[in-house]
Amino acid sequence: MSQTATYHTTVQWKGEHWGRIRMGNGPEMDFSAPPDAHGHSGVLTPEDAFVAAVNTCVMMMFLWSAERFKLQLISFECHAEGTKRIELDRTEIFTQVTLRPRIVLRTDAAGRESTLKRSQRALDSAVKYSLVANSIKSKLVLEPEIETVLTP
Amino acid sequence: MTNDQNDGSLQLIVDKFIFTFPQNLQYSEAGLWIRREGIMVRIGLSDFTQQRNGDIAFANLPEAGSVLDAGDEIASLETVKANLSLPSPLKGRVVEANSILRDSPEFINQDPYGKGWLVVLQVEHMERELCKLLDAEAYSSMAKRQAEAELKP
Repeated sequence: MSQTATYHTTVQWKGEHWGRIRMGNGPEMDFSAPPDAHGHSGVLTPEDAFVAAVNTCVMMMFLWSAERFKLQLISFECHAEGTKRIELDRTEIFTQVTLRPRIVLRTDAAGRESTLKRSQRALDSAVKYSLVANSIKSKLVLEPEIETVLTP
Repeated sequence: MTNDQNDGSLQLIVDKFIFTFPQNLQYSEAGLWIRREGIMVRIGLSDFTQQRNGDIAFANLPEAGSVLDAGDEIASLETVKANLSLPSPLKGRVVEANSILRDSPEFINQDPYGKGWLVVLQVEHMERELCKLLDAEAYSSMAKRQAEAELKP
């Protein structure tokens, strides 16, 4: 049987350039456009939400694949950058999302090379199996920094 | 749709996926391919099964010298998406397990009918054992039924 799932959000206009979003998973928050697009600072914007969707999805998938590849994760942090292009007809598109994960892993000296190889495979799998990364038409670029900490 | 390719393979196209089945191999229902090599057989994971189970993280193979009955576990594979326990399609003695897969299990995904082979078995009653297996056409039909059943709304 075909495997599908659905996810929901509801948005409501609050006046001027303000909205309220209710997420299917519980949280609610105000949102606006970015200040340079007649919006307000300090709140969620669709642009941030798009970049965050990619970043959070790839991170969650990495946590899963790191377990499957038996990596001992010490820390993970990832800065994501979405590049918007304004087309000649004034439409806009995210042409690229760049993910710069900084990953620290524990390993012993003998296993270091294998750990580094598995961590790269885990990252590649995280992108391959990320629902959001799979669903966007922007180019996805990975620029990882992977460090190992040797067990004594 | 199943196509006969110039290289002697059958190609099954389901949705956006293409699965390849060399016709010089036999197959088990559990998704292994089997190639006769004299008194031995080389065994690996079919393209259909490797694609359906995702990126392989670890391949655990039996030691050389192990004796397996048909149905005994011949390999356990840990993928990003699943754990697979694969039953031996034949009774035999393990002559060799593919040691390259210890460090590079990704060959099972990248080259399932080549560098990604799993095990070589010595088989005593070869003809009797091989007649239990499927040919490429029968296996491709089974794969097609499975894939289409999964895609049904």
